[in-house]
Amino acid sequence: MARKSNRMSKKKPARAAAHSSSTNGTKTAAAKWVGQPIRRKEESRLVRGRGIFVDDEKMPGMLHIRFIRSSYAHAQISRVDVSKAEKFPGVVCTLTGAEIKKQVQPFIEIGPGGAQKIADYPMAVDKVVFQGEPVAAVVAETRLAAEDAGELVEVDYEPLPAVVSAEDALKDESLLHPAMGTNRNWHGVFEYGDVEKAFKQAAHVVHIGRLHFHRFSSTPLECNVIMANWDPRSGDIEYHCNNTFPSFASQFLAPALGVRIDQIHMKSFDIGGGFGIKITSYPYMAVCALASRKAGGRGVKWVETRIEHMQASAHGNERVFLDTRVALDQNGVILAIDSKHVDDCGGFPRYEPLGCVIWAQVLPATYRLKNIRIDMHQVVTNKCPVGPNRGYSRMQHLWFMERVIDICGQALGIPADAMRVRNYIRKNEMPYKTPNGCVYDSGDYASMLEAAKRLIGWDGWKKKQAAARSERRWVGLGIGSTLDSGTNNFGQARIINPDAPFSGQSKVGIVKLDIYGEVVVSMGSVPQGQGHETAAAQVVADALGITPDLVNVRPGFDTAHNAYTGHTGTYASQFAVTGLTAIHGAAMKLRKELSRLAAWKLEAKEKDLEFGIGAQGPEVRAKGTQKAINYWALANLVNVNNAGMPKSLWDITLNCRHVFHANFEIPDVQRKYGNLTLTYAAQIHAAVVEVDRETFQPKILAYACVDDCGKAVNPRIVEGQVHGASAHGIGAALLENCAYDSDGNLLTATFSDYTPITAMNMPELLYAHMESPSPFTLNGAKGMGEGGAAPVHTICAALQDALYPSGVIIDDSHNTGDSLFHALRKAESGGYAAMVRVEHRTASR
Amino acid sequence: MYAAPFSYHRAASLEEAVTLLRELGEEARVIAGGQSLIPLMKMRMARPGALVDIHLISGLNGIERSNGELRFGALARHAEIEDSRVASTIPILHDCAAGIADIQVRNQGTIGGSLAEADPSGDWGTALMALETSVICFGPGGERTVPLEAFIKDAYTTVLAHDELISGVHVKLPPKGSGGAHLAFKRTAPVYPTASASVELTLEDHHLCRDARIVLGCVGLTAIRAKEAEVALRGKTLDEKSIRTAVDAARAAADPQSDMRGSADYKRVLVGTLVKRAIGIAARRARGESVPAGHEYAGR
Ligand SMILES: Cc1cc2nc3c(=O)[nH]c(=O)nc-3n(C[C@H](O)[C@H](O)[C@H](O)COP(=O)(O)OP(=O)(O)OC[C@H]3O[C@@H](n4cnc5c(N)ncnc54)[C@H](O)[C@@H]3O)c2cc1C
Repeated sequence: MARKSNRMSKKKPARAAAHSSSTNGTKTAAAKWVGQPIRRKEESRLVRGRGIFVDDEKMPGMLHIRFIRSSYAHAQISRVDVSKAEKFPGVVCTLTGAEIKKQVQPFIEIGPGGAQKIADYPMAVDKVVFQGEPVAAVVAETRLAAEDAGELVEVDYEPLPAVVSAEDALKDESLLHPAMGTNRNWHGVFEYGDVEKAFKQAAHVVHIGRLHFHRFSSTPLECNVIMANWDPRSGDIEYHCNNTFPSFASQFLAPALGVRIDQIHMKSFDIGGGFGIKITSYPYMAVCALASRKAGGRGVKWVETRIEHMQASAHGNERVFLDTRVALDQNGVILAIDSKHVDDCGGFPRYEPLGCVIWAQVLPATYRLKNIRIDMHQVVTNKCPVGPNRGYSRMQHLWFMERVIDICGQALGIPADAMRVRNYIRKNEMPYKTPNGCVYDSGDYASMLEAAKRLIGWDGWKKKQAAARSERRWVGLGIGSTLDSGTNNFGQARIINPDAPFSGQSKVGIVKLDIYGEVVVSMGSVPQGQGHETAAAQVVADALGITPDLVNVRPGFDTAHNAYTGHTGTYASQFAVTGLTAIHGAAMKLRKELSRLAAWKLEAKEKDLEFGIGAQGPEVRAKGTQKAINYWALANLVNVNNAGMPKSLWDITLNCRHVFHANFEIPDVQRKYGNLTLTYAAQIHAAVVEVDRETFQPKILAYACVDDCGKAVNPRIVEGQVHGASAHGIGAALLENCAYDSDGNLLTATFSDYTPITAMNMPELLYAHMESPSPFTLNGAKGMGEGGAAPVHTICAALQDALYPSGVIIDDSHNTGDSLFHALRKAESGGYAAMVRVEHRTASR
Repeated sequence: MYAAPFSYHRAASLEEAVTLLRELGEEARVIAGGQSLIPLMKMRMARPGALVDIHLISGLNGIERSNGELRFGALARHAEIEDSRVASTIPILHDCAAGIADIQVRNQGTIGGSLAEADPSGDWGTALMALETSVICFGPGGERTVPLEAFIKDAYTTVLAHDELISGVHVKLPPKGSGGAHLAFKRTAPVYPTASASVELTLEDHHLCRDARIVLGCVGLTAIRAKEAEVALRGKTLDEKSIRTAVDAARAAADPQSDMRGSADYKRVLVGTLVKRAIGIAARRARGESVPAGHEYAGR
């Protein structure tokens, strides 16, 4: 492997070359470590309790902040009185929304038009729009003093009618943000092909009533934690926090706080889970900085409690799908879909309305359908603002598409597997251009489905199902096909707002040889359990012909490492593509520098050199000779021993930085057309679920996951991600729901009510991996980890199959024994009769 | 999540605990495993001004068999009962102990604390009411023994005086031919059940029901003894018909409320099913079969 490397090092660094058909033509060194299921480097630290989390850190003289939060979902604030709290022993200062308003600009709004009039301040100023919204803060010497004093803050509210459903929001009877003039903060029609013509030609038209994708979240083990210090001398703000998209946060914070972006220093180390939900922690980051400034430049720490997290960090997007019409041909092939979707983003848009386009990355899901019209709306409601929760915006749409497939299949008497195979995009159509200009890079959905069926024993279960049905048992088999699109093109934001000043995608990797010859990698990524240190070490080990344990990867994000761009963060399933390509590029630059240095020192030609490990550690040697120079000596030449070095080598820094680019264009805003994302990992799951006839509880009898994320850089990490995403999805399908009452009170603000999934609820997961390498990426890898909520689709499909004969239509993504009990009652009284209507235009086969 | 200020006192004996409670007055509370009290204090829903810790009182954590009874010290932990050979002679006790919350809670929480808390959804109140259980209360005047059904007065309310504590729990060993089961449905491990049912049967000739106790949990302000349901079985042959009558009577006896665990309608249905299944398991156990049972979890 090392022997070939000099030839390969002359090649152009590998890059995402969109539309190239070769899968590994850009490979630069034979993969010895990439592709191996090695144990995670970070494990040892984490399982020994040596992880470093923000709450483990202290600043000298550090203070603690506590928020006072609205108990109302929608109310005018008539009075805030902090005077008693300020007198409490140990209290240093307080902050109120009205006070903050004078010091900051409202945060940037991404949405166009009226949405620009939303004034999103870090704390509520004169009205609150969701329960838990902060209205004041107390800063004290101890956490306990802050808690005690917080109880002395007096706030008077004049309640306003709460808007808790998307449909009610559209009525505009009670406005959250009166300046916007409506609750609808975004609207656009996504129309492709000839929808009306397809309906005219259809053999069957299926009309589907309201479908609802529920609100759930991610409940990372570690809630938001922020430590901030606004230094009165430099005017710089230092953050230690667990925000997972630090570049995005900085770009929101700098204009709001009136500092230059280079004055914001941000650091994270180990993070106890994120799943996207921590991206929108910037309002709290702003308050912590303002508190530090008011306290005279002392550090301020905020450790979010679970109730705060549940009420007022971020939830996933909720969406309703209305007035759906589906045109099908005689064989159940979908010709067209026409539907109205209303997304509910809670009290403030924040990252939204990006979700109003991000779903379009997977517009036709895994299907070949060409004609589609989605009338997309987004509304604000008196609920917790949403954030990009794992599977963000695509899972809602994919769930809708899977419901459409299953409901149409049931209505036309076509089995779920056949329905999918007839509609799936075929392997030989890859790379496949979707009606809206996205390019699915690779994949073989039909073979994945076959694999999932084999894994679970589909045919055997079919027989058992028939037997069970004859005993009046409710057993259902379900399939969920989903996509995990990764490496997004921020240019899609233009479809939301033509003035949005961002596009493309970038990530930074830095690989350096330190003074004593250590290989050190800095990445801009913000891992929260995805094993970035390990994967990065595997890539660098291959590039330099060494072993992963010789590669020191700096965990976490640090602006001081200068390894970031404005896109830097860990989100949208992409590190395997963006981060690793950047790191690979940097490693190859370093390799080139080492090669030039060694050629000079060893008096050899670069092409005669090889990289490897010698008696004195990693080295470069002249093939077929005794001549070799190790990394220490090479680093020494540049750093502390450079007299006599020829001028031609003075450009060598041994500190190599590389920026990932993808071949993205700015989409056509008028047509809402363009390539919105680079890779499409796929998951096909299958499940057998029985609904107990006496308890109505759904029980998972068997569960299989087939995953294809292209080349797996580390199959062990991939499998772990699939397990995690599956648990999250099963939890969402059966247990986890952010339920609000009609006054906008969150009913699930503790784990006793939200019931995040535990090991006791998990079925055994059968797992198989397939590899359809991406033609667009280095090594053929695709981003993964979000998982596309495959279990939500799969479990709904299985429940549908189990209960369809009883007249139930599964119209919600969240189902419990209780809800199924009521669904069956509703079915008994014919309650679903109007839900699905089938028009047969010609005789069905 | 920080408790309001309180003072902390550690009692070395029951007498000292009683004295401390009296001296510290109404705002003092006993703390045992802390698994009900501490979460409430952290949310500041409970604000005791003083805590009297009874952990170091010796002789309060044993589990022994004597005089035809199983005797639990008030500090016997759920996990200790789960693992106890002695306690496993009454299967219903193992069913109950092994399914309470998660392992952390079971390692800390105590049988005495559970009964004193009198949470309407607590498992011990339900399971122990299916047996002949007495609560030993220790106060300024010494010990008194109160039958469990008289001990729990209402939701979160017992007969304990302010300066009185539970020192032990005595359970009479059921007669030969008896078997019982405690079944509970839970959404996830660390939460209280949605509904639970405890059934203890004494059979003659494997089918004739000599005696029956049927208790419903989480569907009323206290555990509910479904006496009509018991009547439906007592003196009858256990068959589909008598069981159905008992189940219907149990459903009628339930008085559930809607909450995030489930709607009232649903809980009523669920508790009936749990009763039916518990009867089946109790009967098999009464016939000498060893049948695993306990808590069931959503999804599995
Ligand atoms: C996450 C979680 C889930 C749970 N799930 C379940 C469940 O599924 N089923 C279930 O049954 N329970 C459950 N519990 C409660 C658990 O069983 C507690 O252990 C029990 O309710 C209280 O026992 P304790 O020893 O912890 O009492 P503590 O919390 O210490 O005290 C509770 C109350 O009893 C009083 N007290 C304690 N000991 C005595 C005594 N000896 N004499 C007089 N008064 C006393 C205290 O003053 C206090 O008022 C759960 C608890 C948690 C935290």
